[in-house]
Amino acid sequence: MARNRKPQEKLETNMSAMIDVVFQLLIFFMLTLKLIEPEGDFNINMPAQGKSNPNDSEPPPLDTKVKLQANADGTLSGVFLGSRPLGNDADAFKRLNIEILRLIGSPDNPLAEDMAVEIDADYNLHFRHVISAVGACTGRVDPRTQRVVKYIKNIKFKPPQKPGAAS
Amino acid sequence: MPKKRSSGIGSIEVDMTPMIDIVFQLIAFFMVINNFEQTQADERVKLPRDALAKPPEVKIEHEITLNIGFLRDMQGERTNADPFLFNFGGEDMMPPLSASKALEQEARLYNNREINPADVTVKIRADAEVPTGVVQELIKLAQDAKFEKFAMSAMSSDGT
Repeated sequence: MARNRKPQEKLETNMSAMIDVVFQLLIFFMLTLKLIEPEGDFNINMPAQGKSNPNDSEPPPLDTKVKLQANADGTLSGVFLGSRPLGNDADAFKRLNIEILRLIGSPDNPLAEDMAVEIDADYNLHFRHVISAVGACTGRVDPRTQRVVKYIKNIKFKPPQKPGAAS
Repeated sequence: MPKKRSSGIGSIEVDMTPMIDIVFQLIAFFMVINNFEQTQADERVKLPRDALAKPPEVKIEHEITLNIGFLRDMQGERTNADPFLFNFGGEDMMPPLSASKALEQEARLYNNREINPADVTVKIRADAEVPTGVVQELIKLAQDAKFEKFAMSAMSSDGT
Protein backbone atom coordinates (compact mmCIF):
# COMPACT_ATOMS: atom_id res chain seq x y z
CA MET A 1 0.00 0.00 0.00
CA ALA A 2 1.21 3.42 -0.90
CA ARG A 3 0.57 4.86 2.51
CA ASN A 4 2.70 2.33 4.30
CA ARG A 5 5.63 2.95 2.06
CA LYS A 6 6.08 6.57 3.22
CA PRO A 7 5.24 6.52 6.91
CA GLN A 8 7.10 9.73 7.84
CA GLU A 9 5.30 11.98 5.41
CA LYS A 10 3.06 14.49 7.17
CA LEU A 11 -0.49 14.90 6.04
CA GLU A 12 -0.90 18.62 5.42
CA THR A 13 -4.17 20.40 5.52
CA ASN A 14 -4.61 24.00 4.64
CA MET A 15 -5.57 25.59 7.89
CA SER A 16 -5.79 29.19 6.77
CA ALA A 17 -9.44 29.02 5.72
CA MET A 18 -10.48 27.51 9.00
CA ILE A 19 -8.47 30.02 10.99
CA ASP A 20 -10.10 32.83 9.04
CA VAL A 21 -13.54 31.59 9.93
CA VAL A 22 -12.62 30.89 13.51
CA PHE A 23 -11.26 34.39 13.97
CA GLN A 24 -14.40 35.83 12.42
CA LEU A 25 -16.47 33.88 14.89
CA LEU A 26 -14.29 34.98 17.76
CA ILE A 27 -14.62 38.62 16.80
CA PHE A 28 -18.38 38.23 16.35
CA PHE A 29 -18.83 36.78 19.83
CA MET A 30 -16.56 39.39 21.34
CA LEU A 31 -18.50 42.23 19.78
CA THR A 32 -21.94 40.90 20.61
CA LEU A 33 -20.95 40.41 24.21
CA LYS A 34 -23.28 42.36 26.41
CA LEU A 35 -22.59 42.09 30.08
CA ILE A 36 -25.80 42.61 31.95
CA GLU A 37 -26.12 42.59 35.67
CA PRO A 38 -28.61 40.10 37.01
CA GLU A 39 -31.99 41.63 37.68
CA GLY A 40 -34.64 40.50 40.06
CA ASP A 41 -38.31 41.20 40.47
CA PHE A 42 -40.68 41.83 43.32
CA ASN A 43 -44.02 40.33 42.37
CA ILE A 44 -47.05 42.28 43.39
CA ASN A 45 -50.64 41.32 42.70
CA MET A 46 -52.80 44.33 42.20
CA PRO A 47 -56.26 43.73 40.82
CA ALA A 48 -58.10 46.87 39.81
CA GLN A 49 -59.86 48.53 42.68
CA GLY A 50 -63.57 48.12 43.09
CA LYS A 51 -63.35 44.53 41.98
CA SER A 52 -64.94 42.26 44.54
CA ASN A 53 -62.61 40.06 46.45
CA PRO A 54 -63.36 36.36 45.77
CA ASN A 55 -62.69 35.49 49.41
CA ASP A 56 -65.12 37.98 50.86
CA SER A 57 -66.08 35.63 53.63
CA GLU A 58 -62.57 35.66 55.01
CA PRO A 59 -61.58 38.38 57.41
CA PRO A 60 -59.52 41.09 55.75
CA PRO A 61 -55.80 40.70 56.26
CA LEU A 62 -54.11 42.70 58.94
CA ASP A 63 -52.65 45.74 57.31
CA THR A 64 -49.46 47.28 58.46
CA LYS A 65 -48.95 50.75 57.15
CA VAL A 66 -45.55 51.97 56.07
CA LYS A 67 -45.39 55.65 55.28
CA LEU A 68 -42.53 57.03 53.22
CA GLN A 69 -42.23 60.78 53.29
CA ALA A 70 -40.26 62.74 50.75
CA ASN A 71 -38.50 66.07 50.66
CA ALA A 72 -39.30 68.45 47.84
CA ASP A 73 -36.43 67.05 45.74
CA GLY A 74 -37.63 63.47 46.07
CA THR A 75 -35.14 62.33 48.67
CA LEU A 76 -36.34 60.46 51.72
CA SER A 77 -37.38 62.57 54.69
CA GLY A 78 -38.82 59.89 56.89
CA VAL A 79 -39.96 56.29 57.22
CA PHE A 80 -42.88 55.56 59.50
CA LEU A 81 -44.27 52.23 60.58
CA GLY A 82 -47.82 53.05 61.58
CA SER A 83 -47.17 56.33 63.32
CA ARG A 84 -43.75 55.40 64.66
CA PRO A 85 -40.83 57.21 63.02
CA LEU A 86 -37.90 55.03 61.99
CA GLY A 87 -35.58 57.77 60.75
CA ASN A 88 -34.58 58.83 57.28
CA ASP A 89 -31.04 57.51 56.91
CA ALA A 90 -29.79 54.36 55.23
CA ASP A 91 -30.48 52.34 58.37
CA ALA A 92 -34.16 53.29 58.43
CA PHE A 93 -34.98 50.35 56.17
CA LYS A 94 -32.90 48.01 58.33
CA ARG A 95 -34.93 49.19 61.29
CA LEU A 96 -38.11 48.64 59.29
CA ASN A 97 -36.88 45.13 58.49
CA ILE A 98 -36.34 44.41 62.21
CA GLU A 99 -39.74 45.84 63.11
CA ILE A 100 -41.46 43.70 60.49
CA LEU A 101 -39.71 40.63 61.88
CA ARG A 102 -40.97 41.60 65.33
CA LEU A 103 -44.49 41.90 63.93
CA ILE A 104 -44.56 38.49 62.34
CA GLY A 105 -42.80 36.82 65.26
CA SER A 106 -40.55 34.46 63.38
CA PRO A 107 -39.38 34.21 59.78
CA ASP A 108 -41.48 32.05 57.46
CA ASN A 109 -44.32 32.24 59.96
CA PRO A 110 -47.48 30.87 58.29
CA LEU A 111 -49.48 33.62 60.00
CA ALA A 112 -47.58 36.13 57.90
CA GLU A 113 -49.55 34.86 54.88
CA ASP A 114 -52.56 36.71 56.25
CA MET A 115 -50.68 39.89 56.82
CA ALA A 116 -50.22 42.69 54.38
CA VAL A 117 -48.15 45.80 54.24
CA GLU A 118 -49.56 48.91 52.72
CA ILE A 119 -46.95 51.29 51.43
CA ASP A 120 -47.95 54.90 51.36
CA ALA A 121 -45.30 56.85 49.51
CA ASP A 122 -45.26 60.53 48.68
CA TYR A 123 -45.83 61.31 45.01
CA ASN A 124 -42.39 62.69 44.28
CA LEU A 125 -40.39 60.17 46.33
CA HIS A 126 -37.59 58.52 44.39
CA PHE A 127 -38.53 55.01 43.38
CA ARG A 128 -35.40 53.48 44.93
CA HIS A 129 -36.79 54.07 48.42
CA VAL A 130 -39.98 52.25 47.53
CA ILE A 131 -37.93 49.27 46.34
CA SER A 132 -35.95 49.40 49.61
CA ALA A 133 -39.19 49.46 51.59
CA VAL A 134 -40.65 46.57 49.59
CA GLY A 135 -37.39 44.68 50.11
CA ALA A 136 -37.38 45.39 53.85
CA CYS A 137 -40.96 44.12 54.20
CA THR A 138 -40.54 41.04 52.01
CA GLY A 139 -37.65 39.58 53.93
CA ARG A 140 -33.93 39.58 54.27
CA VAL A 141 -30.90 37.69 53.07
CA ASP A 142 -29.48 35.43 55.72
CA PRO A 143 -25.84 36.54 56.05
CA ARG A 144 -24.61 32.99 56.72
CA THR A 145 -26.49 30.93 54.17
CA GLN A 146 -27.09 33.75 51.64
CA ARG A 147 -30.64 32.51 51.32
CA VAL A 148 -33.71 34.69 51.37
CA VAL A 149 -35.76 34.55 54.54
CA LYS A 150 -39.33 35.58 53.72
CA TYR A 151 -41.33 37.91 55.95
CA ILE A 152 -44.49 39.41 54.45
CA LYS A 153 -45.28 38.67 50.82
CA ASN A 154 -48.45 40.62 50.47
CA ILE A 155 -47.51 44.19 49.56
CA LYS A 156 -50.04 46.82 48.66
CA PHE A 157 -49.79 50.40 47.60
CA LYS A 158 -51.89 53.29 48.66
CA PRO A 159 -53.29 55.08 45.60
CA PRO A 160 -51.10 58.00 44.61
CA GLN A 161 -52.01 61.49 45.60
CA LYS A 162 -50.84 64.29 43.38
CA PRO A 163 -49.10 67.03 45.30
CA GLY A 164 -51.49 69.88 45.73
CA ALA A 165 -54.57 67.67 45.45
CA ALA A 166 -54.30 66.79 49.10
CA SER A 167 -51.47 67.14 51.50
CA MET B 1 20.45 37.31 2.85
CA PRO B 2 21.61 33.84 1.96
CA LYS B 3 19.36 31.98 4.38
CA LYS B 4 16.15 33.25 2.92
CA ARG B 5 17.23 32.67 -0.60
CA SER B 6 18.17 29.10 0.13
CA SER B 7 14.79 28.28 1.56
CA GLY B 8 13.31 29.35 -1.76
CA ILE B 9 9.65 28.69 -2.45
CA GLY B 10 9.22 26.20 0.37
CA SER B 11 6.80 27.58 2.92
CA ILE B 12 7.75 28.08 6.52
CA GLU B 13 5.76 25.73 8.65
CA VAL B 14 4.27 26.94 11.89
CA ASP B 15 2.53 24.60 14.25
CA MET B 16 -0.97 26.00 14.42
CA THR B 17 -2.35 23.50 16.90
CA PRO B 18 -1.85 25.49 20.15
CA MET B 19 -3.21 28.65 18.59
CA ILE B 20 -6.31 26.88 17.34
CA ASP B 21 -6.76 25.33 20.77
CA ILE B 22 -6.67 28.72 22.43
CA VAL B 23 -8.92 30.33 19.83
CA PHE B 24 -11.51 27.59 20.23
CA GLN B 25 -11.33 28.01 23.99
CA LEU B 26 -11.97 31.72 23.57
CA ILE B 27 -14.91 31.11 21.24
CA ALA B 28 -16.41 28.63 23.65
CA PHE B 29 -15.95 31.10 26.50
CA PHE B 30 -17.61 33.99 24.69
CA MET B 31 -20.44 31.77 23.51
CA VAL B 32 -21.16 30.59 27.02
CA ILE B 33 -21.15 33.98 28.70
CA ASN B 34 -23.07 35.63 25.91
CA ASN B 35 -26.69 36.28 26.60
CA PHE B 36 -28.70 35.88 23.45
CA GLU B 37 -31.99 36.16 25.22
CA GLN B 38 -34.19 38.81 23.75
CA THR B 39 -35.04 41.13 26.56
CA GLN B 40 -36.97 44.32 26.37
CA ALA B 41 -34.73 45.91 28.93
CA ASP B 42 -33.70 49.43 28.08
CA GLU B 43 -30.18 50.52 28.92
CA ARG B 44 -31.23 54.05 29.69
CA VAL B 45 -32.93 52.91 32.89
CA LYS B 46 -30.72 52.86 35.96
CA LEU B 47 -32.51 50.42 38.20
CA PRO B 48 -32.51 50.67 41.98
CA ARG B 49 -30.60 48.01 43.88
CA ASP B 50 -31.81 45.61 46.47
CA ALA B 51 -30.28 42.51 47.96
CA LEU B 52 -33.62 40.72 47.89
CA ALA B 53 -34.26 41.08 44.20
CA LYS B 54 -33.36 37.61 43.03
CA PRO B 55 -33.74 36.56 39.41
CA PRO B 56 -36.92 34.52 39.00
CA GLU B 57 -36.45 30.75 39.15
CA VAL B 58 -39.25 30.05 36.70
CA LYS B 59 -39.39 32.03 33.52
CA ILE B 60 -42.44 34.23 33.28
CA GLU B 61 -44.56 33.07 30.38
CA HIS B 62 -46.21 36.28 29.26
CA GLU B 63 -44.81 39.61 30.18
CA ILE B 64 -44.80 43.22 29.12
CA THR B 65 -41.89 45.39 30.10
CA LEU B 66 -42.34 49.03 30.90
CA ASN B 67 -39.06 50.95 31.00
CA ILE B 68 -39.38 54.25 32.80
CA GLY B 69 -36.34 56.44 32.99
CA PHE B 70 -34.59 59.65 32.15
CA LEU B 71 -32.31 60.75 29.38
CA ARG B 72 -28.85 61.10 30.83
CA ASP B 73 -25.63 62.67 29.67
CA MET B 74 -22.20 61.04 29.68
CA GLN B 75 -21.74 61.73 33.40
CA GLY B 76 -25.04 60.07 34.18
CA GLU B 77 -26.76 63.34 35.05
CA ARG B 78 -30.40 63.72 34.08
CA THR B 79 -30.94 66.01 31.12
CA ASN B 80 -34.69 66.24 31.47
CA ALA B 81 -36.85 66.77 34.50
CA ASP B 82 -39.72 64.45 33.63
CA PRO B 83 -39.39 60.71 33.13
CA PHE B 84 -40.14 58.96 29.85
CA LEU B 85 -41.55 55.58 29.02
CA PHE B 86 -38.99 54.05 26.70
CA ASN B 87 -39.50 51.65 23.86
CA PHE B 88 -43.18 50.93 24.23
CA GLY B 89 -46.13 50.86 21.90
CA GLY B 90 -43.92 51.30 18.85
CA GLU B 91 -42.48 54.56 20.10
CA ASP B 92 -39.01 55.17 21.41
CA MET B 93 -40.08 57.65 24.04
CA MET B 94 -43.38 58.88 25.39
CA PRO B 95 -44.62 60.49 28.59
CA PRO B 96 -45.60 57.63 30.95
CA LEU B 97 -49.09 58.91 31.50
CA SER B 98 -50.00 58.81 27.82
CA ALA B 99 -49.44 55.07 27.64
CA SER B 100 -53.04 54.05 28.18
CA LYS B 101 -53.75 53.54 24.48
CA ALA B 102 -50.67 51.40 23.98
CA LEU B 103 -51.53 49.37 27.09
CA GLU B 104 -55.06 48.79 25.90
CA GLN B 105 -53.69 47.70 22.56
CA GLU B 106 -51.40 45.21 24.30
CA ALA B 107 -54.36 43.90 26.26
CA ARG B 108 -56.33 43.52 23.04
CA LEU B 109 -53.45 41.64 21.43
CA TYR B 110 -53.40 39.22 24.34
CA ASN B 111 -57.15 38.84 24.15
CA ASN B 112 -56.86 38.01 20.46
CA ARG B 113 -54.37 35.30 21.34
CA GLU B 114 -56.89 34.06 23.92
CA ILE B 115 -54.66 34.96 26.82
CA ASN B 116 -56.28 36.71 29.72
CA PRO B 117 -54.47 40.00 30.43
CA ALA B 118 -54.82 39.16 34.12
CA ASP B 119 -52.32 36.33 33.55
CA VAL B 120 -49.80 38.63 31.95
CA THR B 121 -47.10 40.07 34.17
CA VAL B 122 -46.36 43.74 33.70
CA LYS B 123 -42.74 44.16 34.54
CA ILE B 124 -41.92 47.64 35.71
CA ARG B 125 -38.35 48.67 35.19
CA ALA B 126 -38.31 52.09 36.75
CA ASP B 127 -35.25 54.24 37.21
CA ALA B 128 -34.16 54.76 40.82
CA GLU B 129 -35.00 58.46 40.57
CA VAL B 130 -38.43 58.22 38.99
CA PRO B 131 -41.11 59.76 41.25
CA THR B 132 -43.12 56.96 42.84
CA GLY B 133 -46.37 58.64 41.93
CA VAL B 134 -45.59 58.32 38.22
CA VAL B 135 -44.96 54.57 38.63
CA GLN B 136 -48.20 54.22 40.55
CA GLU B 137 -50.18 56.12 37.95
CA LEU B 138 -48.72 53.92 35.26
CA ILE B 139 -49.76 50.86 37.28
CA LYS B 140 -53.22 52.39 37.46
CA LEU B 141 -53.33 52.76 33.66
CA ALA B 142 -52.29 49.12 33.32
CA GLN B 143 -55.00 48.10 35.77
CA ASP B 144 -57.53 50.01 33.67
CA ALA B 145 -56.36 47.90 30.72
CA LYS B 146 -57.16 44.78 32.84
CA PHE B 147 -53.63 43.84 33.82
CA GLU B 148 -53.34 42.57 37.36
CA LYS B 149 -49.93 41.08 37.90
CA PHE B 150 -47.01 43.40 38.36
CA ALA B 151 -43.34 42.93 39.02
CA MET B 152 -40.93 45.64 40.03
CA SER B 153 -37.39 45.15 38.85
CA ALA B 154 -34.23 45.90 40.76
CA MET B 155 -30.58 45.02 40.41
CA SER B 156 -29.75 41.93 42.39
CA SER B 157 -26.57 43.08 44.02
CA ASP B 158 -26.70 45.25 47.07
CA GLY B 159 -25.00 48.52 46.30
CA THR B 160 -25.15 49.94 49.81
